[in-house]
Amino acid sequence: MTETEGLIAGLFLLFALFVYTFWPENSFASQKEKTRLDFLLERKEQLYENLRDLNFEYRAGKYPEEDFKVQRAALEHETAQLLAEIDVLQG
Amino acid sequence: MPPATSEAVGRNQRRVGTRAGWSGRIRVAEALLLAVALCFSLGATDAGARFTNLGHRLMCTCGCAQLLGECNHVGCPESGRMRNELSAAIASGLSDQQILDGFAAKYGVTVLAAPPTTGFNLVAWIAPFAVFAAALLGTILLIRRWGGLRGRLRTAAAGEAAALDPVEQERIDRIRRETDSDGGL
Amino acid sequence: MAAFGSLCLLLALALAAYNLLAGALALRLLATGQTARISPERLADTARRAGIAGFWAVTGAAFALVWSVFTNDFSITYILEHSNRALPIPYKFAALWSGQEGSLLLWAWLLGIYGFVLRLRHKTDVKLYAYAGTILAGVQVFFLLVLNFAAPPFSLLKGAIPDDGNGLNPLLQYPEMVIHPPLLYLGYVGFSVPFAFALGALMMRYPGEKWIRITRTWTMVTWLFLTCGIFLGMHWAYAVLGWGGYWGWDPVENASFMPWLTGTAFLHSVMMQERKGMMKSWNVWLIFSTFLLTLLGTLLTRAGLVSSVHAFAQSSIGNWFWVFMVIVVTVCIFTYVLQRSHLETEHQLESLVSRESSFLFNNLVLLTACFVILWGTLYPILSEFVEGSKVTVGAPFYNNVAVPIGLFLLFLTGVGPLLPWRATSLKAVKRNFVLPVVALWATVAVCLAAGANPWKGGTFSTGSFYALVGFSLAAAVLTAILSEFLRGAAVIMRQTGRNLFAALWLLVRRNTRRYGGYLVHIGVVVVVVGLCGAAFNRNTESELGLHSRMSVGPYTLECTGFTQDSNDNYDSDYAVLNVYKDGKKAFQITPEKRVYHASGQPQTMVTIHSTPEWDLYVVYEGTNPDTGQPIIKAFLNPLVGWIWFGLLIIVMGTAVALMPSLSPATAAVRVPLAQATPLTQAIKGGD
Repeated sequence: MTETEGLIAGLFLLFALFVYTFWPENSFASQKEKTRLDFLLERKEQLYENLRDLNFEYRAGKYPEEDFKVQRAALEHETAQLLAEIDVLQG
Repeated sequence: MPPATSEAVGRNQRRVGTRAGWSGRIRVAEALLLAVALCFSLGATDAGARFTNLGHRLMCTCGCAQLLGECNHVGCPESGRMRNELSAAIASGLSDQQILDGFAAKYGVTVLAAPPTTGFNLVAWIAPFAVFAAALLGTILLIRRWGGLRGRLRTAAAGEAAALDPVEQERIDRIRRETDSDGGL
Repeated sequence: MAAFGSLCLLLALALAAYNLLAGALALRLLATGQTARISPERLADTARRAGIAGFWAVTGAAFALVWSVFTNDFSITYILEHSNRALPIPYKFAALWSGQEGSLLLWAWLLGIYGFVLRLRHKTDVKLYAYAGTILAGVQVFFLLVLNFAAPPFSLLKGAIPDDGNGLNPLLQYPEMVIHPPLLYLGYVGFSVPFAFALGALMMRYPGEKWIRITRTWTMVTWLFLTCGIFLGMHWAYAVLGWGGYWGWDPVENASFMPWLTGTAFLHSVMMQERKGMMKSWNVWLIFSTFLLTLLGTLLTRAGLVSSVHAFAQSSIGNWFWVFMVIVVTVCIFTYVLQRSHLETEHQLESLVSRESSFLFNNLVLLTACFVILWGTLYPILSEFVEGSKVTVGAPFYNNVAVPIGLFLLFLTGVGPLLPWRATSLKAVKRNFVLPVVALWATVAVCLAAGANPWKGGTFSTGSFYALVGFSLAAAVLTAILSEFLRGAAVIMRQTGRNLFAALWLLVRRNTRRYGGYLVHIGVVVVVVGLCGAAFNRNTESELGLHSRMSVGPYTLECTGFTQDSNDNYDSDYAVLNVYKDGKKAFQITPEKRVYHASGQPQTMVTIHSTPEWDLYVVYEGTNPDTGQPIIKAFLNPLVGWIWFGLLIIVMGTAVALMPSLSPATAAVRVPLAQATPLTQAIKGGD
């Protein structure tokens, strides 16, 4: 490819990319703010995950009964408060 | 242990391996054992070993940034001569430290592959361990300070079990239903 | 083609700059709620599309350089210096990263690829991706500025154009050199992505920790690339440099190892943030540091600040990197100070005996290791400043300082998985430690019984001692991890009545991340076993005339002849050696020495015969000028093969961890426990 051909190819690319970038597109995704509810639901998933994990590790013999109960109570309490807030928001 | 003995150990292992029949795992174990046995038997302190040892504590000065004992590029202008010097020094009965000092005096401190353990350069050696110790201590203290939380958690949980309002109890039942039965999987 | 390439680079710079400025302006407008003539969201979308367009522009430039290599366009200085006509095709690609300008272009192109994928996937979380994309554009602007103004790859030769190029550095003419640098760069560059997400999430005060989940795949893939890149580099050093080792603690190696250490620490400690909202500030700084270390590594080796065996290209771009690093540090500190209230921790660590604290120690050790390496790499500069004279900080320093730390880390690799999350008592976990401790002492006993005594003969051998500790710890860690698998599988067997293998399979599928991670740990253990073998390397060197013999370990080498060969690229001398083991002829090897025509540089080609026990590693060093006889150096390197095998396990483990876990079938379990559907069904329901 000669230098002129290279330049022409470059200018063509310049034009194509310019059109692509500034094409008046109307279907762009809007930046939704994450609502408090979204956030709480995410947290709920994570807390559920932690609880499942706790149960599993208990069954695998990694917690003594007493420790397990304390841990579970604490986690369940935290989750219950979260659920309460979710219930309020979901009306 | 002279190499011959370790070979014998190796052969012994091999016989055991064939008898046991499940050759794959035995073979791996054998490999490990044989290598370990063979290798541990090499720690002799003759001139050859001293040469290897000192050769790995000195740098080649040709600019290749390799250890003298490992410098291998073809036609290196320095390493051959320096190795001869090292052999001569070992043959003349000097101690390791004297040899290293001699090289440092002749070629400058950069010929030593690690900083000397004297003067300011001691800092180079102490700093890593000091940082490690300080960080270790800091982490342990931090966890200890947080550790008090555990007792509080326990009492809080115990108190809660006693007095749960029915709405929360219902929620907890729901949580338990949704996480417990498949939680084991 | 040079014109096309240069134009593409300029175009890419303009697009990246537009992406950065328009993106930042749009986000600012959205954040403050100001109105403008153009809708900020529309503006943000043009910025995103400029990023995508920028990728194509950089691709055009990279294509132009490769095209010029293949068409032997020696009017371009870079091509003249890094290629020649007879260069085999795969190495023509290697020319792309054999010099500084090409490496920078590769860096920009890989950054472009990452950014391209990121911007296409922006619907996952439009706002977070807009922040991350804008920050990535900022990084891209820097590299394109350097490429356009400090190290242009398409600069033309002044004067007459030579007929042939100077050729590729012979050291780089090795198959691995075609994949090692791109992998390493993919790892280096990839850390820009979690960096951009972390900084973006902090700037926008992202609610929750989901951004970690979003970046998890990016971080793991990047980590995998970096790991593979480092190991392939080791293998290349082993197979090409011909000194019988694989890791020389060279500044270039250290530079790639430091971000690996902080990146590994990050991979572990984000789990605490994700699960419990802990250590947020710490994680943010870990990923900032990792990104900065990738830049520092490049700066150290490229700017000639420290000397190195393989600093292939050094020049004045160091100043650019300094300036950029200062800007990055400033932005990081500024954002952190401004938003630090967002990073308050939600939970605190509850006990010394918990998974959380083991992660804390893991981070501590990894960061100490990183500090040691940084310290060792920079110490010559400090010493010169204080003492007025440079010192060398070489392998003996790192071996003495880093090996104990590494062994401690190995210890944690075993302890961590045994500890459950949250607080528990030491007494409760004690029984989990019984088996590993038994394995530990059993291994010590076996090693000692096999004659492996570091105190033998009245002298203490540090290498043997470390190896003994390493082997024993490896056995303990392996036992610990396997027992974790079995414990988990046992629960599933109890509950579902599956057999062991089906239970293990389900266990791994249910939590790919955890058990994939454990697989990676097993891989690390195997690698450590391989590294321990180095304590017992031995070698012998001899002049080997026709039919004379030399022996190393159980092997005897007999020289049966010499041959010569020549092609367009190089001349080579071979020695043909028959290898006998236990008195029987086992195989034949042909170590080789080449002289490359274009560069006139000689290069040895090592032959390696690899078995699980050891590698027989033979180098044809050349001929003795006095006697005309060939000099052969033979190494017996125990257990080296385990290192590469360990890498395979690490890759496998990471692949498992990257697969999505079967999601728990919460919906299917809403039925009361007593009449729960068969579990297989429940699982399918959640799949």
